[in-house]
Amino acid sequence: MSTEVEIKSFIVRNFAPDVPPDQLEPDLNLLDSGVVDSLGLLRLIAWVGERFDIAVEEADISPDNFRSVDAIAAFVADARRNSEVAR
Amino acid sequence: MRWNDDQQALHDAITELGDLLSENRAERDAAAVFPRANWDRVRATGLLGLPFPDRWGGLDQDLLTTMYVLEGLGHSCRDSGLSFSVSTHMVSVGVPLLRFGSAALKERYLPKVCDGSAIGAHAITEPDNGSDIMGMRTTAVRDGDEYVLTGGKTFVSNAPVADLFVVYARTGKAGSPNAITAFLVERDTPGLSVGTPIGKMGLRTSPFSEVSLDGCRVPATNRIGGEGAGFLVLDHVMKWEILCSFIINVGEMQHRLERCVEYATTREQFGQPIGSYQSVSNRIVDMKIAVETSRKWLYDTADKLQRGENVTTDIAIAKLTASEGNVSSALAAVQIFGGYGYTTEYGIEQGLRDAVGGTIYSGTSDVQRQRIARMLGI
Repeated sequence: MSTEVEIKSFIVRNFAPDVPPDQLEPDLNLLDSGVVDSLGLLRLIAWVGERFDIAVEEADISPDNFRSVDAIAAFVADARRNSEVAR
Repeated sequence: MRWNDDQQALHDAITELGDLLSENRAERDAAAVFPRANWDRVRATGLLGLPFPDRWGGLDQDLLTTMYVLEGLGHSCRDSGLSFSVSTHMVSVGVPLLRFGSAALKERYLPKVCDGSAIGAHAITEPDNGSDIMGMRTTAVRDGDEYVLTGGKTFVSNAPVADLFVVYARTGKAGSPNAITAFLVERDTPGLSVGTPIGKMGLRTSPFSEVSLDGCRVPATNRIGGEGAGFLVLDHVMKWEILCSFIINVGEMQHRLERCVEYATTREQFGQPIGSYQSVSNRIVDMKIAVETSRKWLYDTADKLQRGENVTTDIAIAKLTASEGNVSSALAAVQIFGGYGYTTEYGIEQGLRDAVGGTIYSGTSDVQRQRIARMLGI
């Protein structure tokens, strides 16, 4: 399963159960549209950190990283790249 | 927890001040006066700079050590309002600056935070929005190199004596988690005005008041973190606030427990020490369980936070455990001391009044339960 599909699946399952995953637009602003509220954002951050093994120090720096499926996927890819470089 | 000699020395430096900081506690509590002279005594110990790097005058200690020293303050100082103001000062301005502030902001303000020459406060709660942070109405509108802040805050701890405020304001769509932004605002900024102290039930030597923002122009360079990052700045600050202010409560609970044990073994009724009655000893056992459980949750959560783990659920459990444990411990102490516990002279009733606030500030007990439920996917 690709990162994007996995992220979509989590969001639909937890925040938009009535939306089929393939109908969730990857650039939809999850925060401004009300799909993910403040407590939902904390849950999303916790899940991304745990699922993709990203340290909280990186993960909680800006909500912009979590505004859409595309943004989250890009954030995960960046974090993984940085982690590779650090090694 | 095991502490090394350096940590113990820091802890002892503040506990040795306890008697001095506690003098005339009842009178100050009755008058609801901020103890400026004692604030200066705390400043002289360096405690206010504990978790901040030495390049800005801090003591460069980690979170766990900071908490250990604050627990010592709670154990030795009977002026809970002063202890609360100390914690509020440390976390409200210094913690967000250190983590999210620009290099220039850190250079300018952290030295004043570390030495306590500028007292810090954070302005979050609004008259119509307490727990509902996302509903805040105070706005910040960008105008060139400045933001214009308009709105009103209330229950701002330290405000009547504060020099620096971290103000949270809305910069985006209402309700969106990326609609809040944090700003550092100096007290004498035109448009910012501080109300008179609001009377309250406990923590009376830690003054709080309203703060009004009427077209208050703040340089964009005073923004803490990115535009819209305020909710996560606040979430970070709240973790520190809960860990630092409730470990002080743990120190207070430990001191209260020791007083109750001493009283229960020396006070006699019907020819026996009252501790020989299970109704009394059971209360004391529950106090012991409350303080140990609170201590474990707070230090374990801090340890996880320091290791970079997500503590969103843990922090809510730790806050609930410590704040509600403190109230039940304080109420038990009043019962154990009986009539004396009800008098202001013994300070036991003050402990109860001070404890109640802990179930409200930093997110009410109801909100903490809501957080835990959401993290469980409910």
